[in-house]
Amino acid sequence: MWFGPNLQRSYKYMMFASKMPSLRIDQSDLKCKNGCDYFGNPQWQGYCSKCHREQMQRQRKAEKESSATLPKPEQKKPERGLRIPSHSSFSKFEEKRLRQSETLKKANLLKFSVFKKSSTDDHDHSAEKRPPEFKIPGIVNEGMKRDFRTRFPQLGPAVDRDSRLFVHSFIMDVIKCANVLSVDELSERVQRQYQRFMKHMDTSSHFANVEADTKELLMDFVEKHAMTYLHELPSVVFSPSGTDDERLDRAMSERIQQLSWVGERHLECKLDRNNPDCRQLLYKAISELLGMDSALSPGDKLSRVRRCCRHVLRLCSAAPASADDLLPALIFTVLKANPPRLVSNINFVTRFCNAQRLMTGEGGYYFTNLCCAVSFIENLTAESLNMDKKEFDCYMAMPASIGGSAWAAALSLCGAVREADEQRAHAQKLLTHTHNIHTRAEQLAANAQSFEEQIAKKVQDVLTKTPLEIKPRRELPRLGNLKEINTAPLIDLGTTTAQEEPQTKPEVTPEPLAATLLPTESTEPNITIQPETEPKLNILGFEVIERQSPSKSPQNLDQTWDLKQTSSLELLTPSPLGFTPFDSRSIDELMTPDEFGTDQLPPGLSNINYDIDLSDFSGDNSIAEEAPKSEPKDPFSPEALRKITTFDPFAPQTSKGFETALDSFDEFSFVDQRKQETDPFEVVHRGQDPFSPVELSKDPFFAPEKQSTSILDDNDTPATACLLPSPIQPQSSNKPT
Amino acid sequence: MTSGPYNYSYIFKYIIIGDMGVGKSCLLHQFTDKKFMADCPHTIGVEFGTRIIEVAGQKIKLQIWDTAGQERFRAVTRSYYRGAAGALMVYDITRRSTYNHLSSWLTDTRNLTNPSTVIFLIGNKSDLDGQRDVTYEEAKQFADENGLMFVEASAKTGQNVEEAFLETAKKIYQSIQDGRLDLNAAESGVQHKPASPGRPLAAPPAARDNCAC
Repeated sequence: MWFGPNLQRSYKYMMFASKMPSLRIDQSDLKCKNGCDYFGNPQWQGYCSKCHREQMQRQRKAEKESSATLPKPEQKKPERGLRIPSHSSFSKFEEKRLRQSETLKKANLLKFSVFKKSSTDDHDHSAEKRPPEFKIPGIVNEGMKRDFRTRFPQLGPAVDRDSRLFVHSFIMDVIKCANVLSVDELSERVQRQYQRFMKHMDTSSHFANVEADTKELLMDFVEKHAMTYLHELPSVVFSPSGTDDERLDRAMSERIQQLSWVGERHLECKLDRNNPDCRQLLYKAISELLGMDSALSPGDKLSRVRRCCRHVLRLCSAAPASADDLLPALIFTVLKANPPRLVSNINFVTRFCNAQRLMTGEGGYYFTNLCCAVSFIENLTAESLNMDKKEFDCYMAMPASIGGSAWAAALSLCGAVREADEQRAHAQKLLTHTHNIHTRAEQLAANAQSFEEQIAKKVQDVLTKTPLEIKPRRELPRLGNLKEINTAPLIDLGTTTAQEEPQTKPEVTPEPLAATLLPTESTEPNITIQPETEPKLNILGFEVIERQSPSKSPQNLDQTWDLKQTSSLELLTPSPLGFTPFDSRSIDELMTPDEFGTDQLPPGLSNINYDIDLSDFSGDNSIAEEAPKSEPKDPFSPEALRKITTFDPFAPQTSKGFETALDSFDEFSFVDQRKQETDPFEVVHRGQDPFSPVELSKDPFFAPEKQSTSILDDNDTPATACLLPSPIQPQSSNKPT
Repeated sequence: MTSGPYNYSYIFKYIIIGDMGVGKSCLLHQFTDKKFMADCPHTIGVEFGTRIIEVAGQKIKLQIWDTAGQERFRAVTRSYYRGAAGALMVYDITRRSTYNHLSSWLTDTRNLTNPSTVIFLIGNKSDLDGQRDVTYEEAKQFADENGLMFVEASAKTGQNVEEAFLETAKKIYQSIQDGRLDLNAAESGVQHKPASPGRPLAAPPAARDNCAC
């Protein structure tokens, strides 16, 4: 094209032009100095843009040849010995700026050390220093992948791959060329790369279904990632080596500090320092402007500028905000912000932002405004502020901190207010958070409560469904009863009776006792129930003398009596029974002391018992010898078992005996066949019946050699007892004898 | 984003220049805000200083940049000119000084834009005919001498505002058709946006042919 493509890029040339165009210019003045037909421009030394560019290129070439980095002759270096660090309370920005300049200095040192070496040499030489096989860290790739997924979820992997490939090749290309090409050439190369990608998007089948708007976004995406990476490389794209950017940064910063006295009235912008809204907006705008430096990609920087300018636009109270208002306000903002590395940032964006974006759109417009503002500040004169030259010089000679103090104070106040707002918002957030926690805790408590109730209700339901009746206890006796009933018919069967009867046998012998007492009262078994208690008493009464000695086991005595009663079927033998109680009791007494003899030895009893025992032995023996021969020896084993089981209970007498008694009692009841006697009392007593037989069976213990025989006796007798009551009688009768 | 009827094939960049207070911003707002009433039922595509118009069946997005007109900013506002396809030079018919400055504005425009940039002269505030300071004839003569298009308009009433913008667009489009405007140049101020549904349909077969080894 006609006019330099890097017109914008060479803005640093124009902004140093101090001569203002006079209001009236002759036609000849307008023409190019070179004599070509086009208009010339005083900013371009009277050349037209084309001639000027050629001129500049020649000049640059010459410069390069002589020494690469002489400061531009037209650049006036601000020399101010009197540089007072501003002590204003506007410390926040100041601090930020200082920090950034600190890092900047470090970078400078690094850069300059590299630069000094290469300054004498050609650029080609310095290129060799950078290894061409420079590898891009994978983190760029990963970051792009992630970002792509979040930003373009609708696009396919082909697009993703294409864009990543482009970024890769783009970065490699830039790094390769960075030291070979001048900045402007590099910029043009970058622009061509952008165009290449744009063309690729238009032609590639991968992008066939991509909307035009999405393509633009993709372009931004690619630019962002490529430039973000390149931005962090020192002296490649951001304030690259071979440019004055850094020096200009410092110069600009100092210049802005010098101009801190410039107020809103000088710029004729309508800003009200006393209006808190206005202050707030200005503060926000300044924050955004300062944030431009921390943004890495040109696009991000642009969006910072855009946001800043939006605040500034709102600052301009005029309803249709116009550029006439915007520009002064923006200049004022820049003056108050004094953004770090301003020139570098602007140059970076101008050179490496996608030119299409920079030319159109809101971001481009505002960025252009910012460029204008910076250039205005650079060239600021008394005339441009509409003030007297003397006054201007006076202000400029003044220490930097004096002039702007009022606004600085207002802005610092604003900052404090903002901080307070942030704190308040934070506190508010915390408050709502705690409130949430409270409500949740309450909810949790309520939940726990309801849960508890629920559980209680469930438990209640279960309880009502299955009432709390102690079934097992009831069942056991019932089962026992059932057994009685069930087994009752079994008694008729020979097999079962044979086993059960043996135990009853010994009872049969004592039974006559009850018979002796009962016969007078009643013949029926029903009636005998009542006598149960009576006979005991009676018996007890009778045998007071004997009782006193065996008082250790009164229960046993009672039980034995009961047993005797239960077996009261045989009422025919009253006379032997009359003896038997004594005998049985004596047996009990005798037995117990013997058993105890092992544990305890009551001396008095043993003597008495011994005498009677001997007689018993004889009786037992006689029976045993008579009966066992006729009967089979099968029942032995169960009998033995029973004895073993019943043995233990005797020592503790009641507790264990009870359990065993339960087992045995059924059998006895069957034997009795008295179904009317369902009363538990009786049953219990009967359950304890086995005690007596055991006692009987234990008799042999005294004569151990006859243990088996005694059992035989027991076994034999029951079988006979039912069938043959008569033989039993002699046995019982024998005992007392 | 713009889609469907808001797709456009071109973007033209305009700048509005002129002295402070001639009503540049008002003209811009008159033109851009009108889109709410006329073309677009929705606020879709509402963008900073833009409006989509139609010229010869082509949708064109006009991107209009307002500029600061103060004399003291003259030296620094040339960044605005970069890549402008059209320049609307505005003066106030009730203030002669604004008319007198036109030549310097014209100089700047000529210097800072490319030769194919269409310059349109607008005499604003035509509703204030009673306070007229510059006659139509005088301005018309100036326009003719410098090869400018000229119209008197009123940002207040909207008279001729639309015409000025549309005529400029037509002229630019014509120069594109004539080939005088190089679309690929960054400074042309025109961006060509191939309509997304049309082009890709044709493109894929070609791409596939290339891929087939």
